[in-house]
Amino acid sequence: MYKTEIRGKLIDGEKSLSQISQEILAPIDAKTPLWWYIAMAISLVMFAWGAQSIYVTLTQGIGTWGQNSTVAWGWEIINFVWWIGIGHAGTAFSIFLLILRQKWRTAINRAAEAMTVVAVFCAALFPLIHMGRPWLFFFIFPYPNTRGPLWVNFNSPLFWDFMAISAYLLISASFWYFGMVPDFATIRDTTKSKIKKAVYGFFAFGWVGSSKEWLRYEGLAFVLGGIAAVLVVSVHSIVSTDFAVSIEPGWHTTLFPPYFVVGAIFSGFAMVLTLVTLMKKLYKMGDFITENHVDAVCRILVFISLIMGTAYITEIFIAWYSGSEYEMYTFFKNRITGEYAMQFWGMFIFNALLPQLFWSRKVRRNIWVVFAISLFINLGMWFERFNIVVTSLSKNYLPASWAAYHPTWVEIGFFVGTIGMFSAGVLLFFRYIPQIAIAEVKMISKYNTQQTDHLKPGHHDYE
Amino acid sequence: MITNKKYLVGVFDDEHTLVDAFEKALAKGVVIEEVYTPYPIHEILTGMKNKTNITTAAFFYGLFAVVMLIGGMYYAAVIDWPLHFGGKPFNTFPSFIVVTIVATILTITLLTLFTFSVRSKIYPGKKADIIDIRATDDKFIILLDQEKMGMEKPEVTELFQANGASEVYEKESN
Repeated sequence: MYKTEIRGKLIDGEKSLSQISQEILAPIDAKTPLWWYIAMAISLVMFAWGAQSIYVTLTQGIGTWGQNSTVAWGWEIINFVWWIGIGHAGTAFSIFLLILRQKWRTAINRAAEAMTVVAVFCAALFPLIHMGRPWLFFFIFPYPNTRGPLWVNFNSPLFWDFMAISAYLLISASFWYFGMVPDFATIRDTTKSKIKKAVYGFFAFGWVGSSKEWLRYEGLAFVLGGIAAVLVVSVHSIVSTDFAVSIEPGWHTTLFPPYFVVGAIFSGFAMVLTLVTLMKKLYKMGDFITENHVDAVCRILVFISLIMGTAYITEIFIAWYSGSEYEMYTFFKNRITGEYAMQFWGMFIFNALLPQLFWSRKVRRNIWVVFAISLFINLGMWFERFNIVVTSLSKNYLPASWAAYHPTWVEIGFFVGTIGMFSAGVLLFFRYIPQIAIAEVKMISKYNTQQTDHLKPGHHDYE
Repeated sequence: MITNKKYLVGVFDDEHTLVDAFEKALAKGVVIEEVYTPYPIHEILTGMKNKTNITTAAFFYGLFAVVMLIGGMYYAAVIDWPLHFGGKPFNTFPSFIVVTIVATILTITLLTLFTFSVRSKIYPGKKADIIDIRATDDKFIILLDQEKMGMEKPEVTELFQANGASEVYEKESN
């Protein structure tokens, strides 16, 4: 049971159920604000740069990137892991907080899930383009073919990755979509515009809110939630095995799966915080996403940040304790010090130290400080992936093959393009989809008032 | 909805009065056709005595997927086209598990969604059978079939109104 008197209100203002629908649907009904067009234009320009970079890559080859035979993985795998990490929060929010019966998740899970779907799309582009001939990407898929049939290597983490990412994309998209069906029905039944009625009516799948529908809907949510929880853990564990099963110094460690999973949720929650700040300020959703919601996310971040700090220190300790000179070189000469020290300390400060400010209630309640820290965490998580990928590869066992890595403009453009794609996707979400799960917020609205007093004790404690 | 039925519709303003009226009506032997609410209410879901086997179905989808996946990988890697990967055995069973887990989850999701769509008769573009358009916004609706409700109309109307119904009206299906 959510204790309103301890944790604060979940919805500010005494709102009726119909007010909840109206206020959440306001951005869909209102005229598109000017800033939206400006933001969209900027996103599309960024996206266009990305498209141009992809064009250059496809027509001229991977040689337009900064990779060399030593550092064969550069910005592409860094950005891939970064986006997948961000994509993790949506499902983590929905599933883990559902299992833990955290009622405050209802105001945020829709945005988190939307972010997941867009981020996973961005992530999937990188390995796809890195293939060189992306139009033959289906060769990865184990299908009966005329080349033997030649099957894929079922022991390869890259094949696992392909399976994990495609499954994650499909599952998170369907989980997100089915959560929206009752809300689309609300739009269909409340809007005055005929076009909206037809369009949202199409996507509402004929939903009417009968007890039979809700019963099966709850069953479905239970099944999808339960199995997607496994997926959240498995996807980034698999991404981490891309690294951990190789014998590169700094990669070959059993710490990687939990370290990657926690890191992914960390960056994802930070991105959620960035988005909800925007929703609060730009769309005046402050009554639904209250200070208490932001506070709760910050508390989770401070906890995860401690785990991240522990993981960083554990890696360094084990490098020393193992006595392996390659491990020691990588960590002490090529990460903490050396030419990549800036990225290491960026990672350490932004991920392990800066979020410790969230111990202070004052910081957690200052939305702009929270916003800034959330951006720094995302930057820090990018540095973390850079730190893992480039330092280990650039100076491996054979000094003769040591090489430096610098991204080219094509790679930078590709990355900027995905940021543009992400922000364009998020802007479309803000504009055309209920930003907050209306039905779920209505369900928790009773915890807000003294109304609970006259309900039978222990009778209404459900999600 | 079946054609030309006469319905009695009870409209309630909040969950509490709905559940109250619903439970009292059930106690008096009223047969309730359906309840429409803006969000799931567990008293209603249990009170309507409908059951769903979607979780059991999901389990069997999972079982099916596991057998097919492990079988399929064994066939591909051992029987059909064995390949040497650095001297590893052909049947590298424990490492088949990774793909098995992920693809099983995917299979369960897709098949369960399909089952949900078929059983709830919910699909893209379906025209909604709306009883009261406010049921997806802020009203809680109890629908009774006048022929089968097991009590006279005035009595039911009174029962609903005594228990906080904001409106009780008749509706004919079309």
